[in-house]
Amino acid sequence: MNSDMQTPRNGVPEMLGRLAWTIVWGFARIFSIVALLAAWEILARTGTFTPFQLPALSAVLERIWSDAVSGDLAINAGLTLYRALTGFAICAVLGIAIGMAMSRNVVANWFFDPIVSVGFPMPKIAFLPVVILWLGVYDTAKITMIVVDAIFPVIAATVIAIQGVERELIWSARNMGASKRELLHQVILPAASPQIMTGLQVALPLSLIVAVVAEMLMGGYGLGGAMITAAQFANSTSVFAGIVEIAVIGYVLIKIMVLIRRRLLIWHPEANAPATA
Amino acid sequence: MQKPAHIFIDHVSHMYRPPRGREVLALDAVSLEVRQSEFIALLGPSGCGKSTLLYLIGGFLPVEKGEIRVDGKPVAGPGPDRGIVFQHFALFPWKTVRGNVLYGLERQGMAKAERETRAMEYIELVGLHGFEDSYPSQLSGGMKQRAAIARTLAFDPKILLMDEPFGALDAQTRGLMQMELLRIWQRAPKTVIFVTHDVQEAVLLSDRVAVMTARPGRIKTIVDTKFDKNDPDIFKNKTFVEKVDEVWNLVKDEAIKAQGKRSA
Repeated sequence: MNSDMQTPRNGVPEMLGRLAWTIVWGFARIFSIVALLAAWEILARTGTFTPFQLPALSAVLERIWSDAVSGDLAINAGLTLYRALTGFAICAVLGIAIGMAMSRNVVANWFFDPIVSVGFPMPKIAFLPVVILWLGVYDTAKITMIVVDAIFPVIAATVIAIQGVERELIWSARNMGASKRELLHQVILPAASPQIMTGLQVALPLSLIVAVVAEMLMGGYGLGGAMITAAQFANSTSVFAGIVEIAVIGYVLIKIMVLIRRRLLIWHPEANAPATA
Repeated sequence: MQKPAHIFIDHVSHMYRPPRGREVLALDAVSLEVRQSEFIALLGPSGCGKSTLLYLIGGFLPVEKGEIRVDGKPVAGPGPDRGIVFQHFALFPWKTVRGNVLYGLERQGMAKAERETRAMEYIELVGLHGFEDSYPSQLSGGMKQRAAIARTLAFDPKILLMDEPFGALDAQTRGLMQMELLRIWQRAPKTVIFVTHDVQEAVLLSDRVAVMTARPGRIKTIVDTKFDKNDPDIFKNKTFVEKVDEVWNLVKDEAIKAQGKRSA
């Protein structure tokens, strides 16, 4: 109400003031990152480190640009993303299904519960040699590694989310005539969705991490593979370029996930709360 | 001959089994008959099993010992003939007020146009006009409870089970909601079983107050509290004050017993 009444009086100056504030605030929020990048550039340029130990940020950005122009970046990043997202999608579907089965079926719980208890904390990368022996070093093997690693947080989140659904919600639905079948998708899943979503938000960066690690260890195209190849040729600029590319991709993926969460959980009190950078 | 009871509760006992620890006798051979269109309050100290009795009537918990019959038929599971309102509302947070009210009507298979009209009718009845597209998280406690009441009234249950519905509200909102409930009930009398531990609330709203003992819950006495409640100065009304006093004296001993058990 107040600001509406002020707009005609202050008009343009106030809008400019707000814009300036947005820019300053936007910069202030990413200050630590900017400082780090500036320090990187300065340390490299002043010769504190050799270009082999630490190539300048500007040189790394140039390399990323030339990779982008030549199409190498699209191939490598595309392959890594394809593997990470395919693995993530399998984790989401399979993880939610197993979690639901465990919460609603005694036999499924009896079967899966010990596997999850042992499997969740275990470093799944230990399976890598076995996966290579069985499946080779191509997409199937890499995506399998991702699923083996990232499915556990989805299963665990789904089980906990469904256990945490208030019995009054279920009773209300039963009271209004919902059948037991209808309960699952009309009440239990929507009520559990915020926590399931949290599980997915843990699984997504894990998928990207495992995709890169698997590429590094199994070789071939992809960001991880390209970095290892570059390292073997002592091409330190390309190694750092890979690090920057992975950082940007990871950040963008997480941001997209936050947007999807807000969109899907528009009803949740957190949708009105401000998000972080 | 007297008309058979609408709700007939005969020697119902219930064991509460916590996931860990010993089982506790929550209800001990409770018998109660409720007449058509009667407003009855179940009053007792916390932990006396009054909510458990309500859940048994609602069919949410299985009747293991004794019998509960509604219109002559034994209770076997929940049904829309007995609408429940919970203390913490139990609204579906992912649905708007309208969506919540519509849910029950959809389950009854009501035609779309009819259920839309009906949902709005009940949203207006509880004074939530203008908030039909709000999500529960955007409403105050009192408004949430109004929405929950609208949702339950809309599918037109014969019996209304209310589990401390105003217990989570502040004193002023509670007072307003009590008046509102009386108004709604006088317009469309339903059989109401109202669980509370508030003596004034019980006397104000109900025709009879069933005072329950501390755990294990039994019905100690039933007090007739039917008198003209339309006095605008009801809280100073002589009959009201006397009834509150009478019921309070009955409940006091049980409350003290319940306290003693907890500190022991």
